[in-house]
Amino acid sequence: MGDQKSRVNVHSVLTQVSSRPSASDETYPLTRLDHAMGHHTIHVIFYYEKSPFGSFDMDPIRVTLSEVLSSYPPVTGRLTRDDAGNWAVKCNDAGVRVLRARVGITLDEWLRSADGNEERDLTVWEDMPEVPNTWSPFRIQLNDFEGGGVAIGLSCTHMHGDLTSLILLFKAFSEAHHGQAITFPPFFKPPAPPDRKFSVNNSKSTSYLEAKLQKQTPSVKMSTATFKFSDSVVKQCLSEIHDKCPDASPFDLLAALFWIRVVHLKGPKHDDHTHSLSLCVDFRRLLQEPLPYGYFGNALNFSLLSLNEEEMDCSMLGRVAELVHCHVSGLKEEEFWATLHWLDLQKEEGGKYAPPFAMYGPEFTCVSMEHMIIGDQPVMYSMNFDSAKPVHVSCHVGNAEGEGLILVMPSAEAGLARTVMVTLPEEETAKLCEDQSILHLKPTMLLRSI
Amino acid sequence: MPQTLPDFSNSVKLKYVKLGYQYLVNHILYLLLVPIMVAILIEVLRLGPDEILNLWKSLHFDLVQILCSSFLIIFIATVYFMSKPRHVYLVDYACYKPPVTCRVPFATFMEHSRLILKNNPKSVEFQMRILERSGLGEETCLPPAIHYIPPTPTMEAARGEAELVIFSAMDSLLQKTGLKPKDIDILIVNCSLFSPTPSLSAMVINKYKLRSNIKSFNLSGMGCSAGLISIDLARDLLQVHPNSNAVVVSTEIITPNYYQGNERAMLLPNCLFRMGGAAILLSNRRRNRSRAKYRLVHVVRTHKGADDKAYRCVFEEEDKEGKVGISLSKDLMAIAGEALKSNITTIGPLVLPASEQLLFLMTLIGRKIFNPKWKPYIPDFKQAFEHFCIHAGGRAVIDELQKNLQLSAEQVEASRMTLHRFGNTSSSSLWYEMSYIEEKGRMKKGDRVWQIAFGSGFKCNSAVWKCNKTIKTTTDNPWSDCIDRYPVHIPEIVKL
Repeated sequence: MGDQKSRVNVHSVLTQVSSRPSASDETYPLTRLDHAMGHHTIHVIFYYEKSPFGSFDMDPIRVTLSEVLSSYPPVTGRLTRDDAGNWAVKCNDAGVRVLRARVGITLDEWLRSADGNEERDLTVWEDMPEVPNTWSPFRIQLNDFEGGGVAIGLSCTHMHGDLTSLILLFKAFSEAHHGQAITFPPFFKPPAPPDRKFSVNNSKSTSYLEAKLQKQTPSVKMSTATFKFSDSVVKQCLSEIHDKCPDASPFDLLAALFWIRVVHLKGPKHDDHTHSLSLCVDFRRLLQEPLPYGYFGNALNFSLLSLNEEEMDCSMLGRVAELVHCHVSGLKEEEFWATLHWLDLQKEEGGKYAPPFAMYGPEFTCVSMEHMIIGDQPVMYSMNFDSAKPVHVSCHVGNAEGEGLILVMPSAEAGLARTVMVTLPEEETAKLCEDQSILHLKPTMLLRSI
Repeated sequence: MPQTLPDFSNSVKLKYVKLGYQYLVNHILYLLLVPIMVAILIEVLRLGPDEILNLWKSLHFDLVQILCSSFLIIFIATVYFMSKPRHVYLVDYACYKPPVTCRVPFATFMEHSRLILKNNPKSVEFQMRILERSGLGEETCLPPAIHYIPPTPTMEAARGEAELVIFSAMDSLLQKTGLKPKDIDILIVNCSLFSPTPSLSAMVINKYKLRSNIKSFNLSGMGCSAGLISIDLARDLLQVHPNSNAVVVSTEIITPNYYQGNERAMLLPNCLFRMGGAAILLSNRRRNRSRAKYRLVHVVRTHKGADDKAYRCVFEEEDKEGKVGISLSKDLMAIAGEALKSNITTIGPLVLPASEQLLFLMTLIGRKIFNPKWKPYIPDFKQAFEHFCIHAGGRAVIDELQKNLQLSAEQVEASRMTLHRFGNTSSSSLWYEMSYIEEKGRMKKGDRVWQIAFGSGFKCNSAVWKCNKTIKTTTDNPWSDCIDRYPVHIPEIVKL
């Protein structure tokens, strides 16, 4: 709270290179969707009880990291403009920036006492400079806690990939460390649209994007809170709404719950009488020709779900969850291709993509990470170091302004347990943490702003 | 058309004439011996067996004469064998391979340079131009401290690098040769720019628990040619101490010497010097004779320090801002050429075959007496050696030597490829080059190797080795994972 000095002290910066030289002069172009996400940044933090990094300078784990980076040439490259003026990554092996920091308290104390804003200090938040040819878009920050815990923070621009790509990169690293085969090997070929025409005009996603392009939001100071819901609680809740929504997933339930509560908190709207929820869903497996999970790039889609005021006021949780469920399961790949086609149409003279605008927001946005649960196991908690799972995983999206952002992610506890990270304007977050409907579900609160 | 044919046939004729001449002069003794033996045989056959028996009986031998003659023979033989210098064998050597995390691709080097020298774009441009033309590849390594922004060259980091390089090379050597640390009688460590107290040789003695009566030496400040100086010192010691093992460790510790200012003449070493080290086992024990890889034949040392220009051409000093760096003067190549000339004048008579020496002498006499305008004859050193290891000091050094000694591309391949893969590792580069030749399967029994090293001072040192047994390729050497990719074409300028 306030301007107190951060408890995270960054003491050194170095560059980590890949182990094998990549083929020189290779330039990896970024797709139109990648360009469209350029306004944002992504940050993932993995907390471990015991740091696998040992002595650091000469630790063999760094050799493993170098080996893994050899399989991801765009990660160690640098941004450059191609002939049309669009961004591409020059795979010149320059390496990733690694920062080392020390935190003066133990890991447990941190998870109890730090707030969402302080958690931001655990990763690097840097704006891309005008000329990024010596700027590393990927940064790893290793934060050592007292007593041996560590928080490994990865960050990159949203242009290079989405949260899934970053998480699977880290998973590849943990698997390589144990000499295992990489479950989701990197895949760099962007999806190609099938030979069908798409009507741009009456697509839900494209009209939504048009609207986004116009809106401007004033920036407000936001804060984040984390809620962990256990498997049993979610199960019980799902059974309660079973009559209204028989096939609800935990995401549907929690998205609906938080949407209703946030709408309630924000109070009545002045201008129009609809409440909108922007849903961000991963499209890797929803395409007819599915993209492998290891696809390194952006493969998500934003769509809008609207309810008018009266419906919202008297709606029950079950009804709203049903609506969310129908919306999400009704998403077809046409939406995805239509979005890409629309982005193509926005190109300027000479083939340069339009400048990026805020994709997360201005409406209340909800990001689904349900695709990260494969066969009942949360992929996000499967990156083991010395047989220890991460204690907690946090995700942040930079420059996600607007009404707010919620991320529904898997928890360390397998099954239906979920961790929900909510970013709202400061006062609203504080009120949400006291909200009875949410507290009724007995969540564990972590990294909350007090 | 008709003009070229006679020239061609002329040059072919000349080639055969030259070959004939060389064969004649180099084997003159054998060629003279054959007719003499034939003459004796004819004489013996002519005399017949009875005559020979009569001749034998006519020689009156009495006891005293026989005893005196045998004592004389034994005495002469003893003096001969005692005064013969002991053979020094190179049993084996091990080169250090840095971990991949220490790799410095061009892009990383230039990025760090831009970030650290952000107020001096001209210096950054200069470094880029040097790197483009340097002949280095993307796999050369710098120690961990230099990967930080800004670099953290503390004494602890320097000691850490020294321990890493030296102990890895020593462990590898002990494993390859089966040598026990207690059997090391002489230890020589050379590292030019890092000289802590206690010395690096004391560090080795401490780590491996070597004997208390070990003869240890630590050479510092002697530049890139210190490796051969250490070999020379080991050889001299092995003449005095019979039945001994000597371990020589050659390395250069980069951490404390990374120049952080922006004087151009001092930025050059940053672009070229890289992490590396080698440990060599020399012995004069008879039992190592059969398993040794090489025998040391000659070591020739030339020092041009008496000349002021030569003395100042590689000079460590402070720049205007007080930062210490090594300044390389512009006439470095000219001085190196002079030093080389001096060295080969000394080594020539020791190694060149008689045919070349005769030609050189004739040309020399001719120039002095008849016509000073005759071109000086450059002896063909390819006749004397099968393999050349030229210190990989930089592309310019290798080009200059290739031109001066008229060497083919294959003969300088080891030097160029070592510069590409490992950079300028200072005194240990010669050992990486030897390893390259061995791993390519080119080292056969009886092959002679010439190692040439240049160093600050200005010094030019040479060592001549003779291969003791054909060397098989192995997997525990720094080239094992990349030898198949070499030789690689190194462009004149790499676009950065």
